[in-house]
Amino acid sequence: MTTTTKTAPDSAARQDWQRKVVSFLGEQGFIVIFILWAFYLTVSTDNFATTDNFFTILRQATIVGIAAIGAHFVILMGDLDLSAAAVLSLAGVVMAELMVKHGVAPLIAALAALGVGAAVGLVNGVIVTKLRINAIIATLGTSSILGGIAFTITKGKTIFGERGNDPIDSIEFLSRQRVLGDTLPVPVIILFVCYIIAFIVLRRTAYGARVFAVGNNDRAAWLSGINVDRIKITTFMLSGTLAGFAGIMQVARQGTATAGMGADFLFPILTAVVLGGASLTGGRGKIFNTLIAAIFLTSITNGMILLGIGIYTQNIVSGVILVVALSLDRLRTLQP
Amino acid sequence: MSFVRIEHLNKAYPGVQALDDVSFEIQRGQVHALVGENGAGKSTLIKILAAATRPDSGQIWLDGQPYAPQTPKDALQAGVATIFQIFNLLPDRSIAHNILLGREIRTRLGLLDLAAMDEAAAHILRQLNAAHLSPRQAVGTLKVGEKQIVEIGKALINQSRLLIMDEPTSALNQVETDALFGVIRLLREQGVTILYVSHRLDEIFELADTVTVMRDGAHISTRPIAEVTRDSLIEDMIGRKLSSIFPARRPATRDVIMEVDGLSAERALYDVSFKLYRGEVLAVAGLSGSGKTELGKALFGDLRASRGTITVKGERYKPAPWNAIRRRLIYLPEDRKAEGVIQELPVRRNIGLSVLPALTNRFGFLDLERERELAWQQVRALDIKTPTLDQLVLNLSGGNQQKVALAKCLTVDPDILVLVEPTQGIDVGVKFEIYQFIADQVAGGRAVLLISSEIPEILGLSHRVLVMRDGRIVAELDTASATQEDILRFAVGEHKSSPEFVAQEGAQHG
Repeated sequence: MTTTTKTAPDSAARQDWQRKVVSFLGEQGFIVIFILWAFYLTVSTDNFATTDNFFTILRQATIVGIAAIGAHFVILMGDLDLSAAAVLSLAGVVMAELMVKHGVAPLIAALAALGVGAAVGLVNGVIVTKLRINAIIATLGTSSILGGIAFTITKGKTIFGERGNDPIDSIEFLSRQRVLGDTLPVPVIILFVCYIIAFIVLRRTAYGARVFAVGNNDRAAWLSGINVDRIKITTFMLSGTLAGFAGIMQVARQGTATAGMGADFLFPILTAVVLGGASLTGGRGKIFNTLIAAIFLTSITNGMILLGIGIYTQNIVSGVILVVALSLDRLRTLQP
Repeated sequence: MSFVRIEHLNKAYPGVQALDDVSFEIQRGQVHALVGENGAGKSTLIKILAAATRPDSGQIWLDGQPYAPQTPKDALQAGVATIFQIFNLLPDRSIAHNILLGREIRTRLGLLDLAAMDEAAAHILRQLNAAHLSPRQAVGTLKVGEKQIVEIGKALINQSRLLIMDEPTSALNQVETDALFGVIRLLREQGVTILYVSHRLDEIFELADTVTVMRDGAHISTRPIAEVTRDSLIEDMIGRKLSSIFPARRPATRDVIMEVDGLSAERALYDVSFKLYRGEVLAVAGLSGSGKTELGKALFGDLRASRGTITVKGERYKPAPWNAIRRRLIYLPEDRKAEGVIQELPVRRNIGLSVLPALTNRFGFLDLERERELAWQQVRALDIKTPTLDQLVLNLSGGNQQKVALAKCLTVDPDILVLVEPTQGIDVGVKFEIYQFIADQVAGGRAVLLISSEIPEILGLSHRVLVMRDGRIVAELDTASATQEDILRFAVGEHKSSPEFVAQEGAQHG
């Protein structure tokens, strides 16, 4: 039987219109806020709307942006990976330690750092799938362990090479080099390439299709022959590897490594994904919206510095943005 | 003189004649059942009566007066109340407010007279055998059956003379259904005429005085309930002789396609052994809790087996959904809406979900063209009604969602089909399609394990029946010589087979 609505046509049209507005605000609302914010900064500061500042923002967005890809994948499955920041730190520390203290070649050290990320992801995935422990708790637990390991390696000190003979200088190009007539920074290229690959993986591969299937209905996915545990473990490994990569990029950027170097990243990574509209319950999200959200978050910090606003106020604003982002997520799920 | 007279009603929607010259009469003070498959025109007819839509031509007479309501309010004022499947209630307001919506009682100062409203609502609730409900309770906190009572209460306060109910029991449990029937009989005694739309034949025989059958938008028959039988009703509904409901059975081969030996699962299955042959429909019967659904799950790997072996096409097989699919053993779960499809994904992705590797090209990318092609094949083969392949499954009707679940299984080109309650929640006519589908499958050399609670279906379709009880196979019967009583006797267990119980069980089926 078809169901019947008793609404008159005009009120139906109005409801439809309301629903469209709600759905637009839910999915793209932050972009509107972004545009308003950019407009305000352009008018009220001299330095915001310059090519230089534009690339500065993009460069600063790289680390959050890359790690947010992994977080995006995990959230698509309806889980959360809170270990990204700890992985970033440990991978950075391992990378710097191997290069500075043991003279390991940069490429090998980088592979080791990525390996650390993948290994942590594997452990996270196994805990979540085989032991059936909630991902938030599991990754919170591994975060604490990783933090401990990172501090054991560094003994609480900053790792850096001798001036003039610093092995870390050899990877500095990842952060500082510019190409195409000295305009386009390498990290920006890396960021965009990562997102394009992520998009293709999500939309054009069997693995991506399975991630969406598992995130929407893991029971039906399982009965369709999808090895749900394997997909989850793979995704946690991917998330760990990308966090490890973000760690490498951060070492390249600051030229040093500390056990706490990732601590400030967890919040923007998760905020970027949620602000970008990925549903916390899984199965819905647009990867490029996560990228835009990561850039937006960076532009907020950037803009507040340009406006001369202090770091503590910035924290308050970031928190408000996360809550607003979560409200938009609720708005979407509440809509008729 | 009849209370409602419907004359030559026509209504066309783009591409479909929803009502085709429909004429019949409803007598005063009766429960008049309206039955028919999906698409028979029942919905359109009640929408016209409720003024939710207007006919293209034709006329309706209500109590001797022409009845042509322009708005739902007109209908209500003429004494015609309709209770749709989706209720029209304010969840945050009290029962009293809902019942008296638009008829609020006010004091001389123009304020709501809450005490009088509560009293009026309580009076209505007493009339409906629902004195246990408080008029102050918020409607959102009520159970489905109680909300329905509130809807009926709204009809009563408007002094409705014709009450239309659309599939009122579809969301009710047995206790709520019984309570509703009590209320309907009560209303009939008070002289209210009821048009009762349902496809549950048991209910119609329990309640109705007269029954009208519609099919493909046309009126087929209107007869007193005493003059119809279950079989004649079904024949009217599907337009086909009942003897041809079950397709002819061809003999199965002696070629074993699957052998199960000593299969056991923790507290669910004990030492289950059987062989399945190519070309065979092997039915598994049993009461709920007998282990028949668990058997299906264990074969597909959805329930871990603790012991036993399964051999598929001569090879040992370790049950897991992906292993099963690789060996072309598919499983249609009982709850298709929740487990058979992914509501938030498009039709094409749902259909292709089990064969993603086959849809991947040699560079590792999904071939979206091939995905669409595959989906189109299935959409055509199973006649899935969807505007596009990109439509989300949640926008499809229940029957079409079921077909998507089946289509996904068929993309695997299965040799063995484990079907759990394949006709549950399906209209009589579509049931026939499913029966024909099962017969076609085995005719092509495939094998079907039919796990079903519908004994007539088992007898009509299968070659052999395994009867399960307490996780064990207690009998293997040759369908040709088995009767419903045989199956039930084994399913219940000799020592428990009191005649009433068997009769009751039997009444549920069919």
